[in-house]
Amino acid sequence: MRTAWRILAFDVAPPLAAIAAMVYIGIVLVWPLWWVATFSVLCVLIVEAVILNGVLARRDGVTVGTDDDGPRLRLAVVAGATVTLAAAVVVGYLNWTVADRNLRNDTADVVGIASDVAEASATFSPQSPTASIDKATAMMSPQSAETFKKEFSSVAKDLTGRNITAQASTISAGVEAIGPSAASVAVIMHGTQNSPGRPPDTAVLALRVQLSKQDGRWLVDDVSPIHSR
Amino acid sequence: MAAWVRPTGTLTRMPDDEPDDGPAIGGYGIASAVVGVIAIAAVVLAALIWTQHRDDADELRYRARAMAAAADWTSVLINMNKDTVDASLTKLHEGTVGQLNADFDASMKPYRELVQKLQSRTTGQVDSVAVEFVHHPQGGQGGQPPPAASDLSEFASRTDTVMVVATSISENAGSDKPQTVRWTLRLDVSDIDDKLMISRLEPIR
Repeated sequence: MRTAWRILAFDVAPPLAAIAAMVYIGIVLVWPLWWVATFSVLCVLIVEAVILNGVLARRDGVTVGTDDDGPRLRLAVVAGATVTLAAAVVVGYLNWTVADRNLRNDTADVVGIASDVAEASATFSPQSPTASIDKATAMMSPQSAETFKKEFSSVAKDLTGRNITAQASTISAGVEAIGPSAASVAVIMHGTQNSPGRPPDTAVLALRVQLSKQDGRWLVDDVSPIHSR
Repeated sequence: MAAWVRPTGTLTRMPDDEPDDGPAIGGYGIASAVVGVIAIAAVVLAALIWTQHRDDADELRYRARAMAAAADWTSVLINMNKDTVDASLTKLHEGTVGQLNADFDASMKPYRELVQKLQSRTTGQVDSVAVEFVHHPQGGQGGQPPPAASDLSEFASRTDTVMVVATSISENAGSDKPQTVRWTLRLDVSDIDDKLMISRLEPIR
């Protein structure tokens, strides 16, 4: 009985665990070429060791697991399998757990930023014509902030001239698509324009906000209307 | 090494000849056991990571399916022509569930009337689909309140709100200028026995 346990624990389980762990790493990394190569080499070595163990067991009647003179080798075998398993856990944690968590956090982040920028881009007050533009451009990448400011300066002049106040509030926002370094968010807003002597003009505005992650920070690259016409 | 007691005078010892209590476990044996426990912990952790990631991947896949279901349904809605209005409405009706399904004719009346009144040839295109992440209900805007979410908890395993933005262009029989209709919709997509159905339609105005 004890022998059977030793064979299972030292001769059978470690090579199987090591191979399983390497397959796990392969699945997590989606089998890149370098891992396919490493995996094949390591697998051949493990299979060779198992065959050698079997051949020697036939000759000597003792395996790595049951050899009382080889505690060192046993420890090495168990340690090798454990290191492989630990590597699988680390690779899985970094590539799956951390990535999934980042994606969830990023989703919340980009929706918040997109909603703020979209609201700011549709808000205007003649008293402080640049306030909302400054608020929006603070969350933009430098080059798109420049374009955005240019586009808005003429509109701002026009709106100031006609003394128009504009406000927007987000009704709904959701992520169209998101990856580790780029995202596209749809924002549906309720916009109101007030001009002196006229009833307020309301409209539903749908804006697409495109963002990219630069140095760990999400920045807005583009704000554009979603409706194709 | 002194711990590994070996009976002297025996050249080959079959493992089964071991005394019942076996050789005492030495330092290497204890080390092996500790490492073995770490290995088992690693296996458990790897399994946890695996199931968690599978759940996350399933969630993303489900959202993609919900978005596709909403887009397909909307695409029928915005492509209704005067000739196909009945076929389209039947198709739309089949894709609904719950309160929207029960009150389908009433809630579709404005759309049907619009199509029939315009006598139009409409081509629509879905511009954007997104699973809603934040929603601020409009307070005090007047007009009719949005249709309440129907209670589907008995049938639907989950319900998500999907925002759909679409544009359709109607070439009207009488007038010369094509008319552009901008759609901003909130659709509730419910999972009924793994089939995705629309359970609520709220046009944002």
